[in-house]
Amino acid sequence: MTEVDHIAELEAVRSAFARAFERFARFEGGAGALPLDEAESALRELSELRARHTGRKSALAALKKQIGRVPVEERAAFGQSVQRLEAEIETRLERVERALKEAVERQRIERERLDVTLPGRRPRRGHLHPITLLRQRMEDIFVAMGYAVEDGPEIETDFYNFDALNIPPSHPARSSQDTFYTSDGLALRTQTSPVQIHAMQRRRPPLRVVAPGKVFRRDTPDATHNPMFFQIEGLLVDRGITMAHLKGTIAEFVRRMFGPQTRTRFRPSYFPFTEPSAEVDYSCFICNGTGCRVCKGVGWIELGGSGMVHPNVLRAVGIDPEEFSGFAFGLGIDRMCALMYGLDDIRLLYENDVRFLTQFD
Amino acid sequence: MLISYNWLRELVRFELSPRELAKRLTMIGLAVDTVREAGDDYILEFDLTSNRPDCLSHLGVAREVAALVGARVHLPEAKIPSLRGRAGELISVEIEEPDLCPRYTARIVRNVRIAPSPEWLADRLQKIGQRPINNVTDITNYVLHEQGQPLHAFDLDRLRGRKIIVRCARRGERILTLDGVERELAAQMLVIADAERPVAIAGVMGGEEASIHETTRNVLIESAYFDPLTVRRTARALDLHTESSHRFERGADPEAALRAQERAIALICEIAGGEATEDALDLYPRPIVRPVVALRPSRVEALTGVAVPEEDIIRILTALGFHLKDGERIEVAAAEQPLRFITPSWRVDIEREEDLVEEVARHRGYEKIPEELPASKNVGEYLYGEERRRTARRALAALGFDEAISFSFINSAYEHGFAPLPTLGGDEVEFVKVSNPIIEGVTLMRASLVPGLLEAVRHNFNHGTRDVRLFELGRVFARDPHGERPRERESLGLVATGGALEEGRALAQRALDFYDVKGALEAASEAMAAPRLEFEEARVAHLREGQAALVRLNGRAIGYIGRLAESVAAQFKFKQPVYVAEIDLTSLLEAEARKVRYAPLPRYPAIVRDLSIIIERRISWAAIRRAVLALGLAYLRSVEFADVYEGQGVPEGHRSLTLRLEYRADDRTLRDDEVDRMHEVIVRKLKDEFGAQLRQ
Ligand SMILES: [Zn+2]
Repeated sequence: MTEVDHIAELEAVRSAFARAFERFARFEGGAGALPLDEAESALRELSELRARHTGRKSALAALKKQIGRVPVEERAAFGQSVQRLEAEIETRLERVERALKEAVERQRIERERLDVTLPGRRPRRGHLHPITLLRQRMEDIFVAMGYAVEDGPEIETDFYNFDALNIPPSHPARSSQDTFYTSDGLALRTQTSPVQIHAMQRRRPPLRVVAPGKVFRRDTPDATHNPMFFQIEGLLVDRGITMAHLKGTIAEFVRRMFGPQTRTRFRPSYFPFTEPSAEVDYSCFICNGTGCRVCKGVGWIELGGSGMVHPNVLRAVGIDPEEFSGFAFGLGIDRMCALMYGLDDIRLLYENDVRFLTQFD
Repeated sequence: MLISYNWLRELVRFELSPRELAKRLTMIGLAVDTVREAGDDYILEFDLTSNRPDCLSHLGVAREVAALVGARVHLPEAKIPSLRGRAGELISVEIEEPDLCPRYTARIVRNVRIAPSPEWLADRLQKIGQRPINNVTDITNYVLHEQGQPLHAFDLDRLRGRKIIVRCARRGERILTLDGVERELAAQMLVIADAERPVAIAGVMGGEEASIHETTRNVLIESAYFDPLTVRRTARALDLHTESSHRFERGADPEAALRAQERAIALICEIAGGEATEDALDLYPRPIVRPVVALRPSRVEALTGVAVPEEDIIRILTALGFHLKDGERIEVAAAEQPLRFITPSWRVDIEREEDLVEEVARHRGYEKIPEELPASKNVGEYLYGEERRRTARRALAALGFDEAISFSFINSAYEHGFAPLPTLGGDEVEFVKVSNPIIEGVTLMRASLVPGLLEAVRHNFNHGTRDVRLFELGRVFARDPHGERPRERESLGLVATGGALEEGRALAQRALDFYDVKGALEAASEAMAAPRLEFEEARVAHLREGQAALVRLNGRAIGYIGRLAESVAAQFKFKQPVYVAEIDLTSLLEAEARKVRYAPLPRYPAIVRDLSIIIERRISWAAIRRAVLALGLAYLRSVEFADVYEGQGVPEGHRSLTLRLEYRADDRTLRDDEVDRMHEVIVRKLKDEFGAQLRQ
């Protein structure tokens, strides 16, 4: 073999590769615009081409085997030429392969790109009733303050609902205009106060209880009335209990309920089962007492009634009012709920409209 | 009640702006709702508690203001210019019912001229919301608002037989009252009658006929004290509530009768002319005596937490019209001597020591009482089972159920057709009935939460919400057959209809069915750590046959679950399937809670085999499972439901059921041939007992 032959052969391999590679040459600068399927088939063809031109049975491999047979003085130069050719082929193949792979990868990513703003997958969640939410919060506060939660029947006798609470037989609240009666002459309790009596019969002083629950009054439903609503009643009886303790307790509750800045105000009032009695107001949680729409401009919101347990009530359950004294209070949960959430019509509370219920957490 | 600021200032001297006054009065228990400017005057609107009828007038408010600022009340002098004759010569008065009318006084003015009121009088009345009519009538109204004593003016010449009889109405008697309504009177109503007929309903409203007319010349002014209860009952029965009845039914001042009458007579003489009789007829057969109340100064501190010096107590109470009964301090063994106070005639609310404590406390100011927390000798505790109630609520909410609260009373239309909660007493359950409902027809205390929940579903359908899942915790009721208090049980109700929505996705992926409600029920009871609920197909009044079950706890029926029966659905006009469930929560709370015990983890692997069989539809999963477990195979660790399929390839009346069986030994790894043998036994058992075929 002559030197010319080697060179001619080498050139033949180069040009054979160049011809075969021609259709890929345009990807050397990148294959961005190529559709995914074309890029994928081009990659396949490229690997075939690589096998054909660089594999063990390729012309290039044959060329490499010839290096040893080339005369010694030409061998080094020829070897270098073959290596250059091989490097050149590899470089070009790799460049195109990288470009095609990048194109494929790119387009796969594009194809699988997610809309991360679509909603996460989870079952629709239900919601607790706003009355439950408030009641639980109040219970938590009072339990933390050492109170036991109590309850009693919703259908009551006159004794528990009225007599024991010092409500005289002639009191208008007892009339069938105001109180629901069953055909057996029992009353649907008009207040949670009868639980005071049950509690004092069950527990002896010192005692502290709260009783949240349903009560009933014969009001025609309208935007501000329901014939059924919720109250929470509180009662504390011990030796030496005074109105100062009542004030301190309510003030503490109100701060925990509405925030540490909340103030309370006690005004003399009247309830048959307490004496002295007080109406409790708290500073508006919206305007903090400066006056706004929620508090009707006065800065105060009515919380409920309270007072020192009437001696007749203590006597009715066999507690000596000379030895023990106590305070009691009652708050309307529905009204607080209406204020806190800005309800304009409290009939919504018991219509169970899903559009309403789902607004509370 | 409306009070004129200027008018008030005529009765008591004080230096408070209308707003300051309103604030101060509110803080002593006379709540002022609004203060409104009215020309050169201010009108204060009060919301008074029912125990203070004495404050229902300018005089009453003035007394409180006087005590507040340390001033005195000045009532205008009643100067009667011309006197002639004695009342007894012109009229006779007889009280047939002294208990209902403890005091009746009458005085006469002759030769008056009925005319419109002078401007100042009409203006005063208008400012406090009263409509002027004529001078004499307006004067009685004026004095009512000034002194709180209701008066009535009769035309003397229209009183037949020159006679006034205070008696009960006779059966069938009627009267045309001043509001132009003819009313029938009942026997227990107290009336003022002349010799022939009632001329006024005592303390409530006068009759048209004997009242003041344009032509009236001679006027009789009635000033009385009527029994509060009688007036209240009559006003209620007639649904006739007047300024007069409002005061009498809360309690008027029996000692104010003559004073107010004299004031009215003086004003009539001044404004309408005429001559008054020298005296009034005053019948007072049952004198009203207010109590003498003892107050230990230490009691003020014991109840309010603030010690008030004795002289302050005396000062406050004296300013409010109480008189210290001097010289009657009884020596008692205890160191302390009570102060004894004579209650003023207008204070109907004062009976006992605590009442006086309140008087002292409110005039000293509740704001002077410090805030203290009582030392605690108790620990806080929740209602029995409250923690489990809360986890149940959370579990149900997590499953997409919203919490409902419905009225405890339901329409009588639901008396039949709904199974009551079984724990209320089975089929014999009798409803508790409300005898005076406020919503027509809503007369039953619910014995089941289901009707209320169905009404909620209907409400939601009517407002365009078709996918609804609700739960409710609440009490249900039944009459006790032995006449004891009604039974009250706490119940948990569920309702589900429409699609199983996902959060944030408008379209449901599938429709809710029986198993959604069953799953919710199981989740709730699991959350409460209750024993496993058992379900058994049953016939239930309001549920569709074949899709209804009885729910048992430890073998005892505690509720129902199923699809609403067509008949009930039709009653509510439901067109899509609705599933409901209800169980007795009290039973769940009372059942012994499941205890958790650790089981050692297996040391050798289990072999899991699925078994698919074709089996008749009527054979329940529970029966299949029971049969497999009854074999007592030592290495069979669990039998689980894997899948069910009906349709193509499965014969009519059959279904294809896949069981997942787990085999495991504790001391070694089981060999395949061992498992094969056990598996064979199971297949044979299902074939022999139920005719089940292996599915290819
Ligand atoms: Zn405000």
